[in-house]
Amino acid sequence: MGLNHETAPVEVREHFAVSEDQLGSQARALTELSTIAEGVVISTCNRMEVYVAAEDRQMGLDVLRQHLSEGHDDEDMSHLYQKCGDDAKQHLFALVCGLDSMVLGETEIFGQVKHAYKQAFEAGATKGILNRLFQKSFAVGKRIRTHTRIQMGATSVGNVAVDLAEKIFGKLNGSHVMIIGAGETSRLVAKSMISRGASQLTVTNRSIERARSLAEELNGEVVPFDSWEEALVKADVIVSSTGASEPVLHASQIEAVRKKRKFRPLFLIDIAVPRDIEAQAGDIEEVYLYDIDKLQQLASLAKESRAKQVTLCEQMIAEEISQTS
Amino acid sequence: MLFCFIAQLTILSIRGEMRASCPLGDTGEVLIFSAWSLTMFYMAVGSVYRLSLLGVFTAPLVCFLLSLALMPGLLDASPERKTVVDGWRESHAAFSVLAYGALGLAAVAGVMFIVLNRQLKDALMSTGLFANLPPARDLSKVVGRLLLLGFALLTLGLICGLVMEKTGAANKHLYVALGQWAAYAVLLILKWWRGMPPVKLAMAAVLLFVLSLMIFPLIN
Repeated sequence: MGLNHETAPVEVREHFAVSEDQLGSQARALTELSTIAEGVVISTCNRMEVYVAAEDRQMGLDVLRQHLSEGHDDEDMSHLYQKCGDDAKQHLFALVCGLDSMVLGETEIFGQVKHAYKQAFEAGATKGILNRLFQKSFAVGKRIRTHTRIQMGATSVGNVAVDLAEKIFGKLNGSHVMIIGAGETSRLVAKSMISRGASQLTVTNRSIERARSLAEELNGEVVPFDSWEEALVKADVIVSSTGASEPVLHASQIEAVRKKRKFRPLFLIDIAVPRDIEAQAGDIEEVYLYDIDKLQQLASLAKESRAKQVTLCEQMIAEEISQTS
Repeated sequence: MLFCFIAQLTILSIRGEMRASCPLGDTGEVLIFSAWSLTMFYMAVGSVYRLSLLGVFTAPLVCFLLSLALMPGLLDASPERKTVVDGWRESHAAFSVLAYGALGLAAVAGVMFIVLNRQLKDALMSTGLFANLPPARDLSKVVGRLLLLGFALLTLGLICGLVMEKTGAANKHLYVALGQWAAYAVLLILKWWRGMPPVKLAMAAVLLFVLSLMIFPLIN
């Protein structure tokens, strides 16, 4: 029984959310209810689900609904879904494979379910039935990730940019990222780069206050907008998103510093409309230029590719269920 | 590749025993020795840089060299057993072929870089090849390091060649080898001194290797 991003808005989901350190004790509390022998509680930002093994199906459902209704009104409860037997199995298998996630095929959910199960197991809330079910779900998740392309390709502009950066530079450790224009998308892309190891960040913006604020948030340094060209020599990645009506970075500016850069690769991410970086910059041998259209196109292709894999994944899950039933 | 390496090593040992010297007495042996050297450097470099895909690009070249060695007339069925061995000549041949292995692998990594570079420029991210190719910067580093290693071996081979006893034909061979050595030296000096776009370095590695492959059979 549970609710997710498709059945309930965030204000309802947050009422049911269980903190990470409470997952084990909440699962243990379920086993103290009459007829319920085992329980696991999964809670992420997009869902809260309770898995139980009960001696009597109908009684188990009633008891569980009663338990979850404590502190919640009828409106909240109307968002809950419930599944039994093979339907519940199918749901769990699809869940660990990322088929039920907001971003189709994402892999984080696998770890989150594993963590929730571990908490329940350590709290003594699981025995034979749920132990077998969850172990099987992890095996199915691994099999599907190995034999399908459900998790292939980045599906957001930020992740596409980071994947490309890693394809150019390998590990981003020690890479220098320069942000021109302190917009929200730039911030997200820069954060993704830093999370993957980029250690140096330079921010420049017409409004120096906004540049400072972003630099402080991301532990970078600020360069005045009229002298950012000097920082071009050090940069490995440049993310540009100003509101300028004319290009702010010209091919000639890069040509001028090529020797000083010793012809190191330069990854240019132009997420501004109108574009900030002159298209001719992409013709320079060691420069890789991606504008917002290219990035969005790549993200869409990955989404389409993942969607095409869903039928295959569902077939594999059905096979697994028929084997276990 | 490991089985291939063992098989190459076995046949080279047999030929070495037959000749009582380094098995570089005919074109067939030179081709097998080159394939062995290429495979050896692949196994050393591929595991260090986790460039397993390098094998996919190396295998066809190794296969081509070995197939060529099997052509009738290239591998002497009963090679002449040497009674007097010139150590400098043997070392010259061995170092030169080892250098070919390293420079050949640099060319293979160069081809991989050129393919990846094109895909990155054209935003072709969805291909399986793109997903499996190593990062561009790593490939470029591998090209540079293999060129350096190949150049060092080539230098040793050349020094041995200068010291060994020479015939008229050997002099012609030596001039070409000097030209080849100078070309690689210029490339490496340019790269070290002023830097070079990685794609140019990769293209030069491929071009020089192909030229070397073409020119020596012609003068021999």
